[in-house]
Amino acid sequence: MKVLTQAQLKAWLDDLAHNLTLVAPVNVQGKLEYGKVSGSGDVAWDYQRTDMSPKTWLFPATESVLTVRQAQDGTQILEPPEPPPTVLFGVRPCDARGNLAIDALFLNKAPSDSQYARHREATTLIGVACPQMWASCFCTVVGGAPNSTEGLDILLTELQEDKQTLFAAQVLTEKGQKLAANMPGTEREVALPSPKLTAGLPTLRPSAEWQARFNEVYWQRVGDRCLACRACTFVCPACRCFDVRDEVASRQPGVQVFERLRAWDACTSEPYRRIAGGHNPRPTPQSRLRNRFYCKFMYYPQDFGSLGCVGCGRCIDACPVNIDILEVIASVEKMAG
Amino acid sequence: MSSVEQQIRDAARQYLENGVYCVTGYERGPRGKVRPAFIYQASDVDRLVWGPECDLNLVNYVHQFKQPLRRGEPPPKVAVVVRPCDARAINLLVHEQQIKRENVKAIGVACTGATPGDPERQACQVCHERVPVTYDTLVQAEGEAGAPPAQDNYTDIVDMENWTPRQRLDYWLKEFDRCIRCYACRQACPGCYCFECVAEQVDPHWTSIALELPEKYFFHVMRAFHLAGRCVACDACEAACPMDIPLSQLNRKLAKEVEALFGYHTGEDPEKAPPLTTFNPAERLPL
Repeated sequence: MKVLTQAQLKAWLDDLAHNLTLVAPVNVQGKLEYGKVSGSGDVAWDYQRTDMSPKTWLFPATESVLTVRQAQDGTQILEPPEPPPTVLFGVRPCDARGNLAIDALFLNKAPSDSQYARHREATTLIGVACPQMWASCFCTVVGGAPNSTEGLDILLTELQEDKQTLFAAQVLTEKGQKLAANMPGTEREVALPSPKLTAGLPTLRPSAEWQARFNEVYWQRVGDRCLACRACTFVCPACRCFDVRDEVASRQPGVQVFERLRAWDACTSEPYRRIAGGHNPRPTPQSRLRNRFYCKFMYYPQDFGSLGCVGCGRCIDACPVNIDILEVIASVEKMAG
Repeated sequence: MSSVEQQIRDAARQYLENGVYCVTGYERGPRGKVRPAFIYQASDVDRLVWGPECDLNLVNYVHQFKQPLRRGEPPPKVAVVVRPCDARAINLLVHEQQIKRENVKAIGVACTGATPGDPERQACQVCHERVPVTYDTLVQAEGEAGAPPAQDNYTDIVDMENWTPRQRLDYWLKEFDRCIRCYACRQACPGCYCFECVAEQVDPHWTSIALELPEKYFFHVMRAFHLAGRCVACDACEAACPMDIPLSQLNRKLAKEVEALFGYHTGEDPEKAPPLTTFNPAERLPL
């Protein structure tokens, strides 16, 4: 295993930023998100879990799917430009598993989502293992771990040796190998530290038990306080719903440009489920919130073979009215007896 | 348990035993955070708590109870725990014919104003109300009420007005850039109850579905204007925002304008209708 000093890691990142698009946790006025950096100096090193997940780089909040340019010389349909080769640095193991959850819909079942596939192809993920589970974390409840390697190309683990911070690099995929070709450091054996886990977390019940609890009055009560905003889904690394609309991009004499846009959408919001004619089969915040949990723990596992939750706990922290997905998991466990 | 909590619970029990369908107050979740609680049975009133972290406006939830529970019945009566700022929203909604005053029982909690150590909220620093303008049960802490603050001179807003337009634009674009367009601010606002928000209207399609800066900018400015003379300064929008955008500054700027033009404070006087919902042909505004 390669072991790097902090200085070596920073030098390597500076080198990567020079040759590729490097994306890492950055502090935007007190909120942590993944942003393009020009070098290791821009990275917000001291983070537990970012406020926004790195899915923004694989499944952008807003994306042009195609552009139609209409002019005197004819009509052209233009595909969006190829995404540049990108390195996502500082990805937490839960977020990497979030990408795998999105893959289950966008890649693993035909037809694949070409737009997402291109981002995925162009991106190499360097993870940094969590030394512990933080306050709202519950990755172990949904099959993950603070040091999980799933979905990552390289995983770095922080070590303390002789009061020096070192990073042990596990190179996990071919993509990772390619990127690590110029990685500095010393090749040697190291024992990786075990992360500190949170004890006493509930057990996630299988989807059949969720199905049996669908009509419980509990779903009405937990949804009473739901504001029907979109915060939980937008911070979620595994939520992948979007809306598509054709919009005018620009209109000049002789040249009109239209764009087919897709942007994140959220099942908790009222217009999400509204259908032609104005009917809404999920008219209440309660019914929509229940859907959010059932999507994650029943529909998505049954239809796409992956849980729709990776236990990052962002929705717990973002929710203005403290709707707590871990409490919901615990309540279903209690109902199931 | 404080005496205020005991009084809230007693009032809630009273209402539930006398035909009120639901009491909305605050409870403490398993992680220790306070959150809105919906109490349907008198035996559950002991869940209710009170504290300085209770920073949403629960009047927002009365919109859920505007329709009858069953066809042919009148809408249910509900009770809501309110601070003085929240109570102003009751007057607003009565004026806008959203609710009938007798259908909403207000458990008004007297405020001691901003206390050192409490979460710092701009609204509390300048709020001049200690007792809700409207209530059905008044809950008051023992001991003396905090000193009323000096008159609100909008000094923070005047500061901002003295910036150049470029500085103001830069400041707000920087703040809005963080917005994720989750609409938590709108959803937490008792005054934002449109069936279909301009930001989401399909026909006409006023704004793009893009979650980008122009749309965020449009959304927040549009929302602030729609709340001019209607915002009750409860700051629930700011409390709900997961990205900590200082929305109260926008609302206060418009409140200052409305005060200067009409001498109007939203929800303060149950007899006075919001200026932007009334038409007075004699009105002449300086332009």
